[in-house]
Amino acid sequence: MFPTPIEKSSRSWQLTYQALLPAALVLWLLPLIAVAVFSIKPDSDFTTGNYWGLPTSFEFVENYGKVFFASDMPRYLLNSVLITVPTMLGCVVLSSMTGFALGVYKFRSNLWIFFMFVAGNFVPFQILMVPVRDLTLDMGLYNTKAGLVFFHIAFQTGFCTLFMRNFIRALPFDLIEVARVEGVAEWRIFWYVVLPLMKPALAAMAVLIFTFIWNDFFWAIVLTQGAESQPVTAGITSFNAQYRAAYHLMSAGSIVAALPPVAMFFLMQKHFIAGLTLGAVK
Amino acid sequence: MFQKSKTVMASLAATVALTTSVMAAGHAKLEGDLVIFSDMSNPAPRAVMEGMVERFGALHPDLNIELTVIDREAYKTQIRNFLTANTPDVANWYAANRMKPYVDAGLFEDISDVWAEPELADLASTKGAMTLDGKQWGVPYTYYQWGVYYRADIYNELGLNEPATFEEMKSNCQAILDSGRKCYTIGTKFLWTAGGWFDYLNMRTNGYDYHAKLTGGEIAWTDDGVKATFANWRELIDMGAFIDNHTAYSWQESLPFIVSGDAAAILKGNFAVPPLREAGLDDSKLDFYQFPAITDGVALAEDAPTDTFHIPSGAKNKDAAKAFLKFVVSAENQTLINNGDNLGQLPVNAKSSVDDDKFLKEGFEMLSSNSPGGVAQFFDRDAPAEMAKVAMEGFQEFMVKPDNLDKILARLDRAAKRIYK
Repeated sequence: MFPTPIEKSSRSWQLTYQALLPAALVLWLLPLIAVAVFSIKPDSDFTTGNYWGLPTSFEFVENYGKVFFASDMPRYLLNSVLITVPTMLGCVVLSSMTGFALGVYKFRSNLWIFFMFVAGNFVPFQILMVPVRDLTLDMGLYNTKAGLVFFHIAFQTGFCTLFMRNFIRALPFDLIEVARVEGVAEWRIFWYVVLPLMKPALAAMAVLIFTFIWNDFFWAIVLTQGAESQPVTAGITSFNAQYRAAYHLMSAGSIVAALPPVAMFFLMQKHFIAGLTLGAVK
Repeated sequence: MFQKSKTVMASLAATVALTTSVMAAGHAKLEGDLVIFSDMSNPAPRAVMEGMVERFGALHPDLNIELTVIDREAYKTQIRNFLTANTPDVANWYAANRMKPYVDAGLFEDISDVWAEPELADLASTKGAMTLDGKQWGVPYTYYQWGVYYRADIYNELGLNEPATFEEMKSNCQAILDSGRKCYTIGTKFLWTAGGWFDYLNMRTNGYDYHAKLTGGEIAWTDDGVKATFANWRELIDMGAFIDNHTAYSWQESLPFIVSGDAAAILKGNFAVPPLREAGLDDSKLDFYQFPAITDGVALAEDAPTDTFHIPSGAKNKDAAKAFLKFVVSAENQTLINNGDNLGQLPVNAKSSVDDDKFLKEGFEMLSSNSPGGVAQFFDRDAPAEMAKVAMEGFQEFMVKPDNLDKILARLDRAAKRIYK
């Protein structure tokens, strides 16, 4: 069923494995490597067709300097933070409460309400494009960070509720019953009993939502349109000038934009993997 | 994006006004607010716009000018909003058919009276592009030429000259092909580059007026004239003049072929020059020629996309707006804003001097004196957006499968009947 651990396999297979692994890794990362290399190339390398070769000159400082000091990139990065962090908090707060309600209380339409949250995840979000755009326009939230935050919270809460409800279901219910017998108020049960137990789930979810929202491109271009509100994923396209696309700056910008979620992943790796599997296996 | 640079000019400006001539003379005092919305958001154009506002403000110290610069792409959608509500006094846009929807909807002010003034007589080359229904609806501030940019060193090596006729163009091309190169690089991934080829082939085969009628929907796509254009195009395609797999490249991705010498030329606007220079093609290697004549007796006409200023009909301070437009097109201002340090394009005023740049000079010369047929805007600005899209898809298909021509033309004809109605 499971593959034999590599250390138990034959020596020749181990050597093959060790030889193939780096090759597969490079092949796998080739597009990313190309972007990274492009981000330190001069613009003329693109026009001469030097896509895969070594840079003709080393323009690290020049390109990244332009990204940080001669473009709206810092503004876009700040926007991304101001969109991602409130969304993350909003989702965690709301879904821990919905998850608690759906996981702990037995009422008649409990399952149906839960299904509605889950069903939201099955709606392909692209079909919501026009109605959501019109809605934000009517509410005066079009082209604002708040508009993006509200939509993301609304949409992500479905997934988060599924996640939280299942996690709370898996907690020993006796703990809650004991607290009730002691006469503890319901909100105090939530706050002092359930919430501390949910910490790993909260952390995992926060990490997941952070990467989801940070990497969102679709809603960023649908609901916002300028440097005053667009997050960094959409802001990268501002390196497309009227006639020419500055691919070297776009590459540098992409690297910068990708750093926070990558850093988040490495710092919180444990929670990230927990987050991906938590909802799946109870 | 919305960075407001509020320019309230101090009184020392009055002295400047006395020395700077042109404006200060006739049209004395302008007061109140002048609100300008601009799409000149890239760094160089933005500096130009801010510079113009500053200098205009210096001439009119009592005028409070508010400039709002909006991202060029976002501007294209926002203009629909702000022309109807919250209207500025001056707004950027494009010439010819691109301004037609707003002219038809009554959102742009008729400024024929400004054009009637003697100073604007020097703008004759672009007047046609600003005219709809016999009236003028805005002023141009910059444009640039299209033409064939070619590798002079390859032409020298093969002993070729700049072609003046289609026959020479083809014989040159054959010599280039025989030397193992392609004649023209092109990247048709985003379609519009093929529109450039069609513009030139059609204007050279049938003339400017025919081309204008075709893009205006007055001539059917199944007309024999159109077929003659495609027959000429097909000669080049059948020779193998264009690079292979061009549908896979954007225009920037098609440049390496000319840089490496695998292709000898490119039909393109002047904006192709900076990247080619950066890539190492200096003026001894890169040169320019006007697209050669095809049909004898057809007057040469050129593509020269023009960017413009307009006064929305809802503007509040129209006197100041008109004064600003006249300031923009004045010979002195045109020389300044179009030089190599600023826009690096062509001034629209024939009295302006053009920057000391080989390609700009040739382009200015060509458009001012050797384009008797007229100046077109470019296929996707002359034809309505919807028609342009369908047609350019057809051009791309034709370049890959020339045998499909009849089917393509029938399709364009059907689309035209629906779009122009």
